[in-house]
Amino acid sequence: MSKKRNFFFLSFPTTFALLVLFVAPMVYILINTLEQDGIANFVKFLTDSFYLNILKTTVIISLKTTGILLLLGYPTAYFLARTTSKLKNTMMIIILFPFLVSAVVRSYGWMVILGNKGLLNQFLLAVGLIENPLKIMYTSHAVIVGLVHLLLPYMILSITGVIQGIDKNLEYAASSLGCNPLKTFFKVLLPLSTPGIISGCTLVFTLSMTAYVTPRLLGGANFRMMSTMVFQEVNVNFNWGLASAISYILMFVILLFLVVFNLATASINQRVGGQKHA
Amino acid sequence: MHEDRVSLFPKIVTILVLIFLVAPLVVIILASFSPTVLVVFPPKGFSLKWYANIFTSSTNFLSGLGNSLKVAIVATLIDIVLGVAAALSVTRYTFKGKHLLIAFFTSPMYVPSIAFAFVLLRVFSMIGGVPAYLRILLGHSIIIIPYIIRNTIAVLAGYNWLLEDAAASLSANPLQTFTKVTLPLIKPGIMAGALLSFLYSFDEAVLGSLLSSPRFITLPIRIMNYMEFSFDPTLAAISTLLIVMSLTSIVLMERLIGLDMFLK
Repeated sequence: MSKKRNFFFLSFPTTFALLVLFVAPMVYILINTLEQDGIANFVKFLTDSFYLNILKTTVIISLKTTGILLLLGYPTAYFLARTTSKLKNTMMIIILFPFLVSAVVRSYGWMVILGNKGLLNQFLLAVGLIENPLKIMYTSHAVIVGLVHLLLPYMILSITGVIQGIDKNLEYAASSLGCNPLKTFFKVLLPLSTPGIISGCTLVFTLSMTAYVTPRLLGGANFRMMSTMVFQEVNVNFNWGLASAISYILMFVILLFLVVFNLATASINQRVGGQKHA
Repeated sequence: MHEDRVSLFPKIVTILVLIFLVAPLVVIILASFSPTVLVVFPPKGFSLKWYANIFTSSTNFLSGLGNSLKVAIVATLIDIVLGVAAALSVTRYTFKGKHLLIAFFTSPMYVPSIAFAFVLLRVFSMIGGVPAYLRILLGHSIIIIPYIIRNTIAVLAGYNWLLEDAAASLSANPLQTFTKVTLPLIKPGIMAGALLSFLYSFDEAVLGSLLSSPRFITLPIRIMNYMEFSFDPTLAAISTLLIVMSLTSIVLMERLIGLDMFLK
């Protein structure tokens, strides 16, 4: 018993650091904001269509990014989980490697490719597919490309781990019972890998809601998402009250989505469980 | 044969995904050797002048690099001590509220960096006189703690605690047991986690943007500031150096503990 207590001691420094430098500031500034201007800034954000549109853009971009990531990430994760290729480790390195490269550097790479005089436009002009350079940079398309590139490793890794845990024999069994590949996928693989899909989607959705570098660099000055807006209110408009409101609203919206995701998971699990008994 | 046909679709997607992932990085490396300001393909020659630019001209990339290293190294060292201790406290025994404590330790992961950065900015400006280095260091120490703790918990989950009992029965004291038995066995996992956290802090640009001062600016912010005024391949040259650093890290991690840790 006394040993247990000795070990518990070890958590005190971290607990102390988090309380002083994380929890206390987060709570204190919220109270401070409310004391200074009341809910005026929150009301301003939630009633002004300019700000509401920024929230809407942020959510829509994040949903689109999550959808594309799922479509690209799932087949890749499946392949990685099932392949017996000797190149698997090399593929893992290629997938993990961008993960460790700064978002600034990766966005810069896309700027070189997608810019008005960028490599993509040079190529398309040279081939003759277009006559005027495409405007991709500083649009929502560029931001989505950048976010997909930024977050692909998260999605792939979340799903690969789960698929690796699904017995390959279940797929053989389904096909020997006459399921075609599509049916096997929908009846066996998809239900069993739902936990990975949900955790992957939750993760990338949250990360794209809060992404800052990618929208700033690929979206440019006139493209606004919630996090770039916080920065702008602080450094350009010097409106700290509004910046506070945007920060806490962003956190609240993310929390709301997480709750919805969790409820959806619970109901899906129930349905899958129900099917098993039927 | 049937199985091969089934896996053709995932295989094609995988190949496209791999190309998509490396494309911007390959482009950056090629661009860094471009002799012209505008990057064209195929390149019109070969030049190292952009690399020279990093060191000679007033890009301030080197001071940014120094600052980023100072923050990342110190934050990682602090968090290894804090994080490993915290992870040990929650893995050795099961107790009531264990999951709650782990959730608390990893809670900074779920708060948007921009919100935390802004809150810190306000708190520090109320206190006043806190140098930018300390502001960013404290901020980074908080946001990388979850990664070290999660990673160490995962490493400790595979650790055989009976070894500690064995050491104790051979009359090793708790400190000896930890330094001679437990630590050597979990060290590779901790090192890999530390490397990840180091890179996270080194590349971090949100806290860096809001908490830096004109006298103390980290490398990612230096690079972003440079972009606003000029778009020459000096950016590609410094980016290439960072890419090489990341590539070295991942090969190191693969050697240390393998890459399966990322699949948990």
